[in-house]
Parts: sequence; structure tokens; C-alpha cells
Amino acid sequence: MKQIDALIVANRQLAHQIWQMELAAPDLADDITGPGQFIEILISASWEKPLRRPMSIAGYTDGKLTIIYKIFGPSSHQLSQRAAGDYLSIMGPLGNTFTINNQLFPILIGGGVGLAPVWWLHRKLEAAGTAHALILGARSGEEHFIESQPDKNILLTTDDGSAGIAGTVLVPLPAILANNPNSMVFSCGPEPMLRAIQEFTADKQLPAQLSVESYMACGLGICQGCAIKTDGARNKPFSLVCTDGPVFDAGELDFG
Amino acid sequence: MPGSLILVDLSTNLGRRQFANPVFVASGTFGYGFEVERLADISKLGAIVTKSVTLEPRTGNPPPRIVETTGGMINSIGLANVGVERYISDYLPQLQGGGADFIMNIAGSTSDEYLKVLEKVEAISTDIAGYEINISCPNVSEGGMEFGVSADQTARLTRRLRKRTERLLIMKLSPNVTDITAIGLAAQDNGADAVSAINTLVGMSIDINSQRPDIYRTLGGLSGPAIKPVGIASVYKLARKLSIPIIGIGGITSAEDVIEYTLAGASAVQIGTANFRDPACGINIINDLRSRLEDSNIDRYQSLIGQVKTYQ
Repeated sequence: MKQIDALIVANRQLAHQIWQMELAAPDLADDITGPGQFIEILISASWEKPLRRPMSIAGYTDGKLTIIYKIFGPSSHQLSQRAAGDYLSIMGPLGNTFTINNQLFPILIGGGVGLAPVWWLHRKLEAAGTAHALILGARSGEEHFIESQPDKNILLTTDDGSAGIAGTVLVPLPAILANNPNSMVFSCGPEPMLRAIQEFTADKQLPAQLSVESYMACGLGICQGCAIKTDGARNKPFSLVCTDGPVFDAGELDFG
Repeated sequence: MPGSLILVDLSTNLGRRQFANPVFVASGTFGYGFEVERLADISKLGAIVTKSVTLEPRTGNPPPRIVETTGGMINSIGLANVGVERYISDYLPQLQGGGADFIMNIAGSTSDEYLKVLEKVEAISTDIAGYEINISCPNVSEGGMEFGVSADQTARLTRRLRKRTERLLIMKLSPNVTDITAIGLAAQDNGADAVSAINTLVGMSIDINSQRPDIYRTLGGLSGPAIKPVGIASVYKLARKLSIPIIGIGGITSAEDVIEYTLAGASAVQIGTANFRDPACGINIINDLRSRLEDSNIDRYQSLIGQVKTYQ
């Protein structure tokens, strides 16, 4: 884990309000362990917003680190205005990773801004030639940046039915499970989605790992600000998203 | 004068203890110190004030615990900490290897709890520089603050702690009081070597969509640059009444802020919220402070203490 000024190599829009930034970060290579890890980004030198923003890593290849982010406020808008050639202060990589079980078929589910680690896992499995399914959910088709490929188990869902399958990311799950009964779910996304996946996987007795997000100050386990309820898991009522997570077994989490 | 080279003396004194420089890191913003070792040479810091330790471990308050505000943040962590036994067995040994001076911050809900924590540490062999007593945490329902808002309770607690240690004893004051100097005087008159000011200001923010507070416990402690003027004013008021040194805290992000606090009357400072953004910022601030004093031909940091030139 290091704090570096990383050169912005590219920063471009992928879909409606969805952007991708590529950063030169060869110094982080030794510490990169895989999807789930995140970085803390300092968006602006101004102290108006004092804290860094945690963002999941969406890829790391040949020393280049990718993030995929959604514009939903002034800070993410500011990030989208940064140009290639600028430097961005980042700290990382931080946090733990998804753990693939070789005996189980991986079903990857990403929603909204939370698709970054799931996308990285998808790309890694694809590169390794590991069969898996990918479900990406969004409110409408304009937020999707890939096409669905049902023959390759790449499925899109939209709340408004404007692209892919109408409904939530849960809709295509039963059909995938029918073909792959021994599966494991890996997911990141908005809390209502994770809560629904937690319920679904508990009901079907499917193992699942969920990557959660939280307000965060330091990212190092110092401020204790990113605590989430973990219902006694890991022998404590609260866990820290930054150092205990961000990936947790679905059963550990207590969404309250 | 261009080309001239002066060797700036950054050292400062608190009680009988001398520190290499006046830039400390504040309790709760630097963990137990070693968490940051990978990012910064922590031995360069004036001192590390470790996170509040209580007699028993505490799991802290339910989330959400923090929220960012304009120029600051509100927290309500609730003194989550490992408890004094683990502090002694697991953390002190690591701290002692780090090469930095460190000060242990202690919190409690009764004066006996403060006393027991301090006694347990006094009973072992350690090179800890001293203690900062947190009588000003706004985020626990019992104790803490009730000492910090009462001159009588502060006096009694300070007196009892003073009898049990020869080490540096610092009382950390709350700004959430009518007259901070009354509390400061109570600490001074009962044996404190120094006071530190300020802890966080009670703050609140509300999500207008959900109509819920941004913090689970509704109220929290505001920190960051937003509170710096309150910290400066508190240090100034304390410096006019007290003869013991004052450690300035609140919104420090630069060497200029350190100088401002010093002019107001601080003999040392603590960096808090800025550590969350850049754990190495304390080191940069020390270097900047040295250059800044060199450029102004000031050869001794301590010569700036309390030198504000007021209009009246």
C-alpha cells in the first residue's frame, strides 16, 4: 500500500453517467492482489471536501489501474473533468478480495456504481478461460456500456426494461442456477440489491460474497468510521469495511 | 538574507519534557502509530498521541459514524478501542520500537476508570512520554464530557491522576463549554503539566431526502479546517489565563496553521482530521515549518509562542 501521484492516462465516458479512468500506477504492482481491492482518491486539493473517496479497482494490467465510476454528485463530476496528463493522488491498494472456489460456478452480479470489482473479476475469469456468468443491472439501457451476450452468459437487466431483461438482477438468476446448481455468487452494488441477493442466496443455500461500500475517512482502519454491522461475525458486532472488507461472506452482514 | 543559513531550533517544552518539534498527531487520527509506518517516517513527528484507551474494550457506536461536511467532518465513533490490557500487551511493544515519542490518550466514564488505566500503565516499564486525558469526548452517553464541562470534576480528576504519575499529564479540553479557561485553570491548579484544546465541537447534519441525521447517534463531533478559528480563539483565551503550556488542536493542515496557533499561545499543536487525507502530512508540515522559519530568520520556534500583536 502506497500513497502516490498517479498520471491520468485516460478518462472517458462509457455510458450515461458512467465513466472510466485509467491511471499509471506501476508502483502498486506488488500490492495488487485482485478484485475487491480499492483505492482512496483525493479528488481536489481544496479543503472544502476534506476526505478522500474510496473507489473499487475495476482492473489492473501492465501497471495501469482502472476505475469505473458513476457521476452522482459534485465530487464525481469533478473527477470526470480531470484530463489525461494530470496527476491524481491515490492511496492503495486497500482491502481484501473475492475468493473464487474452484468447485463452484461463479455467478458475478454488479449493479450501478458497484460494478467495478465485479467487472474486474469477470475480465480475470475470462482471461483465464474460466466459465462463469455475469449479470449487470442498471436503471435503464443508457447506463449499460456493454451488450448482452446470452450465449456467453453475459446478461443485462434494466429496471425500466429499455435494455436486456426487464427487472432486477435477480430475474435471470433461477435460469442460470437451473443449468449450474453448484454455484457461488459474487456481487457488488447498491445496498438494496445486496440485501436482495443476501436473502436470495440464503434461501437457496448458495454461498455468496458481497463487496460493500461505506462512507470512509482514512481507509487504513484508523478512523473507525466505516464500521458496518456484522451481527457477531468475526467475533465482533461491527466490522470495518476498509480493513475487514470490503468483501464479506453474505451471511456475515447485517443490513438491519 | 539570501544565502544565509540558520539552523532553526524547532524544539519545544511541555512540563519537564522536551520534544524535538511541536507537531504532534491527535488522538484517534493516527491509530496507535504503527498503522502509518508504511506511508511515513513517524519517528520524525514531535509526538504521537495514541487513540483513546479505556479500561475495558469498546466496540463503539452503530453506523453511520462519520459524515463529511463543508471543510470538515462529523464523527461519532464512540471510543471504539482495544482496552488497556491489549494496549499494554500488543500495542505498547510495537510503539516503543517506532522511534517516536508517544503520549497515551485515556478515556473513562468514571474517575476510577481513568485512574485504573493510568495505574496499569504506570505499573509496567515503558518509555511512554505521558498521558493526555480525554475529558471531552462528545460521543459517549456516560462520562467523558461530564468531566470536561465541570471545573470541579476536572479539578478532582486532575488531582487524583497527578498523584499517580510523574510523567507529562495533559488534560484535553472541550470547546462545548461556557468558559474554557475555567476548566483550564482547574486543570492547571491541580497539577496538570499542560492542556490541549480543542476536542471536537458538537455538530449535526441531516439528509433532507431521508430526513434522517447523517450520524446514527444524531449528534457528533465536528473537526477539520471548519473549526480552526474556534481552536485559535480557545488557545488565545487559555494563554491569557494559564501559565502552563497549551497544545493547539483544530483544523491544522499547514505550517502556516501551526504558526497561527503558536502566535495565539500554543507551545505545540496536534494535527487531526488532515491525517485521514494524508497520513504523511505531519512530516511535510514539519519540513515546511522549518523552511518558513528559516525564510523569516526566526531561529527558535519557541520565540513565536503567544506573540500575536492584538489591537488592544
